[in-house]
Amino acid sequence: MPSFKVNGKVHDVDADPGTPLLWILREQLGLTGTKFGCGIARCGACTVHVDGEPVRSCSFPLAAAAGREVTTIEGLSPDRSHPLQRAWIAEQVPQCGYCQSGMLMTAAALLRARPRPTDEEIDFAMTNLCRCGTYARVRRAIRRASGQPAQGAGA
Amino acid sequence: MPRAESTTSRRTESPAAAPPAAGGTSRRAFLWSTALAGGGLLLRCALPAKAATMTGAAAVAPPAGELPLTPWVRITAANVVTIVVSQAEIGQGISTTLPAILADELGADWEAVQLETAPFAPAYRNPQRNWMFTGNSESVQAFYDLMRQMGAAAREMLVEAAAARWGVAPASCHAAGSAIVHDASGRRLTFGEVAAEAAKLPVPASPRLKADAELKLIGKPLPRVDVPAKVDGSARFGIDLALPGMLAGAVRTAPDLLGKLRRVEPSSVSGMPGVRAVVPLERGVAVVADTWWQARTALAKLQVEFEAAPDARLSSAQIRDDHRRILEAGPWVTPVATGEVEQRMRAAAGAGRVVTADYENPFMAHATMEPMNCTVSVTPGGCEVWAPTQGQELAVLTLAGVLGLRNDQVQVNRSPYVGGAFGRRLLPDFIVQCALVSKAVGRPVKMIWDREEDIRRDWFRPATAVRLTCGLDAAGLPTALAARVVSPTILLPVFPALAPMLREKGFDPSALEGMLETIYELPHRRVDFHLWETPIPTSVMRTTGYGPNLFALESFVDELAHAAGTDPLAYRRRLLGKNPRARRVLDRAAQLAGWGTPLPPGRGRGLAVAEAFGTLVAQVIEVAVSAPEVRVLRVTSAVDCGRVLDPGIAASNIEGGVIFGLAYCKSEITFDHGAVVQSNFDGYELPYLAEAPELVTELMPSGEKLGGIGETSPVTVSPALANAIFAACGRRLRAMPLGRHGLRLGVARPPKGKGYA
Repeated sequence: MPSFKVNGKVHDVDADPGTPLLWILREQLGLTGTKFGCGIARCGACTVHVDGEPVRSCSFPLAAAAGREVTTIEGLSPDRSHPLQRAWIAEQVPQCGYCQSGMLMTAAALLRARPRPTDEEIDFAMTNLCRCGTYARVRRAIRRASGQPAQGAGA
Repeated sequence: MPRAESTTSRRTESPAAAPPAAGGTSRRAFLWSTALAGGGLLLRCALPAKAATMTGAAAVAPPAGELPLTPWVRITAANVVTIVVSQAEIGQGISTTLPAILADELGADWEAVQLETAPFAPAYRNPQRNWMFTGNSESVQAFYDLMRQMGAAAREMLVEAAAARWGVAPASCHAAGSAIVHDASGRRLTFGEVAAEAAKLPVPASPRLKADAELKLIGKPLPRVDVPAKVDGSARFGIDLALPGMLAGAVRTAPDLLGKLRRVEPSSVSGMPGVRAVVPLERGVAVVADTWWQARTALAKLQVEFEAAPDARLSSAQIRDDHRRILEAGPWVTPVATGEVEQRMRAAAGAGRVVTADYENPFMAHATMEPMNCTVSVTPGGCEVWAPTQGQELAVLTLAGVLGLRNDQVQVNRSPYVGGAFGRRLLPDFIVQCALVSKAVGRPVKMIWDREEDIRRDWFRPATAVRLTCGLDAAGLPTALAARVVSPTILLPVFPALAPMLREKGFDPSALEGMLETIYELPHRRVDFHLWETPIPTSVMRTTGYGPNLFALESFVDELAHAAGTDPLAYRRRLLGKNPRARRVLDRAAQLAGWGTPLPPGRGRGLAVAEAFGTLVAQVIEVAVSAPEVRVLRVTSAVDCGRVLDPGIAASNIEGGVIFGLAYCKSEITFDHGAVVQSNFDGYELPYLAEAPELVTELMPSGEKLGGIGETSPVTVSPALANAIFAACGRRLRAMPLGRHGLRLGVARPPKGKGYA
């Protein structure tokens, strides 16, 4: 069975290699911060990092994670100290909160690639669905975490 | 839901509070926290909470050694103050606001308070309806006084106990920071030090409430108690529950809404990993396995046949035809008939001044981000449920009926966090289904619907049709208004007590919200209603009747204004002469949005104003239209909910509601040959961040009666958007979503190019 690292810890799991990473995380490793939303890689609630890249884990087979390093929301920081988590708290982003793990993981990958993203880059990267409609605060929090003023310069 | 209707207060046999089963209570509270695997506790030690903390689910009976002061407050000897949250935290922030009201009166140290989510028990019923549920934007309205009283009562009990200990008058003491202080001597006792004595005192019936100046939490923007757990993955939703010995269930129902299971071949999956059972259901089949993914995998391989029930009549085209036919022919019941509508219509017709327009609202699915799920353990003598639910009491009654149990044999525990609800989780259908599966396999089962089940088996916001007809005077102002509304019931499924009224009067008050009453000065008014019968399950969804009806009315008023050659703002102001609150929010929204200032070509502003859920809301939407793209640039909302208990949380509800309102303009659920066409977010598309406009939100408390917040701002989005599109390009949209007109949402920032800012 494939072995891979999750949040710095090596795991060997006994499961069908076709099992989506999401369900390995949730049902075998007890890491339930990563959420099931659509199962077709559309909503982003299941977003985790694989070798630092954002991946929709509902559609990412366990076999593809072999030998790689997975980071989940639980591993984003040990104590909610990631700049995005702090910004999320400062801007009071979450409402129901279900999509927010995936939203944060997508944003964290964005900031790694683009430390000061423009509004266009935020638009392009943040395709996670939020049914409560927290988008305005998500944008503000990303700008805050990247040291930019809350409001963009517009077009 | 209707207000002050005697038929609506639910009277049921009170399920007696379950006797404290040995170990049962602490086990229940423990379950949600065990799922934390220690992480939650560690976090609390490492990072002192800056606000109250949700610690799990409350038990019907208090833990051994802890005497509650009331069903709402427990205090341990170590001075841990626990407040019970009666209402489901569905994202609206109620788990901060309600306990903060109580804590403020109590004088508790808010930052150290622990919160528990309530089980079903009579004490936690909505006091205005005698029914336990979370919805209708009325949690604050219904519970505000009770929270103040319960906080004050507990405070007086603690003060009395401390005063007795010291031999001083209670009036010479005060409570603050979870302690009682004797003012003259400065002596201090913590709540915990006197809690045991206080718990033996009678609960004062009319305790003194604090003056506004004494309040420290109410009215302030508090950090939400649920936010920290929602940024590190530790928040426990229903789907995250892990019960010892539980199995996982996946379900597939017939593709046709009315289809039934014909045959299933369990042996087709019997050898598959983890599979434990195949459970036939009336309209579908469940596979039960060790893990959900195993169950879901087997379900995909399962040989199953459904009785096809293709019903050509059950299609969106047919539904629209039906609605159009009914708009012409009725029959109608007439809940509103005031003034001289007939005479005035005749007079206007004689002068050629009658206008009429038909509006259509689409079917919509709730599509909560957390799909329907729950965990149920059915045993020979009982049924215990752990569910993300808004409707614990209805779940108890329904389960008792289905399983042949007494109400007190059914325990429905609510998950501390609920991943969206919007009315969907008032219904117990998914809980009942899971109970039947648990009963069949004799084990606790966690059932998770995949997104396809969640959308196709929704209880939809129904398509409705509205015809508005107006007689006009020479200045183009209405002399009489007649409305026809075609809608199925939306309230009955979540509020069975409505049945007699629906039978006798023939109308559903929720489906007529926004039409039964109007903010405008229209004394000559008639409202006809046709209760449309449909096999499609329909129920309440954020904005209930207000959204669909006010899409029609606020679009129509805009049409009347343009027909009269009058500015839509000025036109509305003339009709709002007797409604200063509505004028105030309208004027402010217009001012903030720069109403009347010039815009580049292709841009337009539209407005809408409404009273919904006891709150006045006015909205201006600015768009840039370049067909097929509609860019929603900015949405300005001015809101008067009477009194603002938490401006931060109220604003977030208004902001999120705007996006929810945009979803009503972006997508729809359609039917073809008896089946739901859409089944996931590829066909049923919700707004994305890129489409989310700049939001300007102003809360304008008037000091009037408390109004609701959660459902108010989506109400005005559809009409304000339609009105903005008309202003931008002259196209009048009398139906949503945009796709019916070959339009779609675009990126919500101004287009680049000549003439644009």
